[in-house]
Amino acid sequence: MMAKIGMMSFAHMHAYSYAASVKQLPDATLAAIWDDNPKRGREMARKFGAPFISNVKKFLAADVDAVIICSENVKHRPMVELAAAAGKWILCEKPLATTVKDGEAMVATCKKAGVGLGTAFPCRYAPTLIEVKSQIAAGKFGEIYAASCTNNGSYPGGWFSEPQLSGGGATMDHTVHVVDLLRWMTGKEFTRVYCENGTLIHKKLKTDDVGVVHLEMEGGLMVSHIASWNRSRSFPTWGDVTLELIGEKGVISVDAFNQKVNVYCDKVMRAEWVCWSGNMDLGLVKDFVAAVDARREPPITGVDGLKAVEVTVAAYEAAKRRKPVPLTT
Amino acid sequence: MRVGIIGCGGMGYHHARMATNCGLRVAACGDTVRSKAEALAQEYSAEPVSDSLALVRRNDVDIVAVCTPTPNHAPYVVAAAEAGKHIFCEKPFGRTVEQCREAIAAARKAKVKLFVAHVLRYFQEFEAIKAQIDAGKVGKVGFVKSYRGGVYPRGEANWFRDYAQSGGVTLDCIIHDFDWLRYVFGDAERVFCQALQRSEPDVLDYSLVTFRMKSGVIAHVIGTWAHPSGFRVKVEVCGDGGMLQFDSADAPISSMMREQAGGTPGMIIPSSPVPVSPYQLEWQDFVGWLEGKHPPRVKPEDGLKAVRMALGALESAKTGRPVKL
Ligand SMILES: NC(=O)c1ccc[n+]([C@@H]2O[C@H](COP(=O)([O-])OP(=O)(O)OC[C@H]3O[C@@H](n4cnc5c(N)ncnc54)[C@H](O)[C@@H]3O)[C@@H](O)[C@H]2O)c1
Repeated sequence: MMAKIGMMSFAHMHAYSYAASVKQLPDATLAAIWDDNPKRGREMARKFGAPFISNVKKFLAADVDAVIICSENVKHRPMVELAAAAGKWILCEKPLATTVKDGEAMVATCKKAGVGLGTAFPCRYAPTLIEVKSQIAAGKFGEIYAASCTNNGSYPGGWFSEPQLSGGGATMDHTVHVVDLLRWMTGKEFTRVYCENGTLIHKKLKTDDVGVVHLEMEGGLMVSHIASWNRSRSFPTWGDVTLELIGEKGVISVDAFNQKVNVYCDKVMRAEWVCWSGNMDLGLVKDFVAAVDARREPPITGVDGLKAVEVTVAAYEAAKRRKPVPLTT
Repeated sequence: MRVGIIGCGGMGYHHARMATNCGLRVAACGDTVRSKAEALAQEYSAEPVSDSLALVRRNDVDIVAVCTPTPNHAPYVVAAAEAGKHIFCEKPFGRTVEQCREAIAAARKAKVKLFVAHVLRYFQEFEAIKAQIDAGKVGKVGFVKSYRGGVYPRGEANWFRDYAQSGGVTLDCIIHDFDWLRYVFGDAERVFCQALQRSEPDVLDYSLVTFRMKSGVIAHVIGTWAHPSGFRVKVEVCGDGGMLQFDSADAPISSMMREQAGGTPGMIIPSSPVPVSPYQLEWQDFVGWLEGKHPPRVKPEDGLKAVRMALGALESAKTGRPVKL
């Protein structure tokens, strides 16, 4: 079968890579593009050779099986609701929502509409992280006691630091991946959150750009995580995802994208790390397309997205109240 | 000047060498374990002493170097001060803030000089990091991260493994980073910490500590005594004009033996030689102070404040709440 995929908004840069992934898959077509920014939408339509449909109702009435939503964070909910009402399968960019209420509503709406809702957590398709998960699952490290993690990045600019569109800054943007990875790797849920964050690097931003999140998981597993936009413009790459896991029988550390070539180009005058590893976005989109074909729930669900939202929202609350916030599992 | 070493374990040995390198003479070596006092004393033709409280009163001792397990630093400092001796005290300054206060008061009353050995302030790589920050290379700093540790140490009679004595990796090891953070970024406002402190089935400690400095800077310190081997230090400083990183694993020399004593192949041993050991630099600083040449880089209050940061972290780990400092 040929899954017909529509793109809803290119506000989040990951849309480029997802659209390119759809184009690469033999059993999927990029059927249509809609964007609430018509200029951007038309440009993307040209770039990816797909029709641009400016009216969202017409877009959803078109011959499209599923949509990939890459809008600004706060627009995820209204777009998911529209797509669900039209019976489309949905892959939504992370964070799924900026409030728990929105996330819950999105999950409930899709369930009621009988459509699959997936959250875009492509890190689950990084070969390095798959390897770590499989070693942990094999019991090589015994019980995992503690973890220290990072998801650092450079400041993405634009709407990411407009709170009314993003719902928050670096803590909002860069907590969910690692939270999802830890749930995925350990099979445990989060029970408690503390956070220190602030606007510490880019002084003029309206959002935080560094968040240190302390987390507890079921069984007392202790975690610290740095969610940041602290990478300077001269840093050789965009950022990182790293985890160090302390287990009963040993320790394992992973720097997920440290499969790189160091490049020193005089024209650039900035050292560059060029990652040569597999394309994790392709894996994510491929599995989503398979779920669309089979009309089943995507492997990374809306609930997975919601769980990560709960932790992130609790982190902001903890930072504001300067005390830990419990999570009910 | 003549030095009396109290506690002839790992650090006692080290400081005897450093003091000698500075032109001082080791006159007496005290340890509750007689054989350890004798072994060190023999190397320096010094007098072995079983009762270290007697050592501080010896006429041939001008400086007392306290290198015992942490809980008895302060009692020896107080005794040495009362005997009118200058004091070099290993970090952590004390096991409690109260102990640190008593030690400071005793030194002040006796008008002797008291130095707390926060050696990180003398490490060349940390000085280079500070110099880059001071030169404005990273702009205004907003975030700092440091990482330190490796295998869980043992020490005489496994004292490091007794959390009541050592305070685990939080009090014993990453107190180095706590002091350095204060040195470079000023006082901390509050701290949050999660500490593993396991004893079963193995003694393992891992500590995740976040300070909010008074300046607003966030500092995250990770301490590990949970690794099966090795020792590693990492630092990252991020500002509005750039960032810097240091990683001790990125070393100029690495070696690996085909076979070790036990017949097992060795692991990679990184090394990064320096012309003068930072431990010797701290002794030079201390001796220069004794000779009236300059004030020391570390003051006793710094030692106390570092202990307070570490104990605040441990309190946070226990209560699960941030602790105001
Ligand atoms: N600055 C550093 O880099 C660094 C490194 C390691 C240890 N330290 C500190 O140095 C101190 C000593 O650590 P170590 O690694 O040398 O430990 P160690 O166990 O190797 O040595 C301690 C010695 O003190 C002796 N001792 C114990 N109780 C005593 C007492 N009441 N009176 C006299 N002697 C006594 C022990 O027999 C032992 O020989 C600790 O406070 C530790 O935190 C600092």
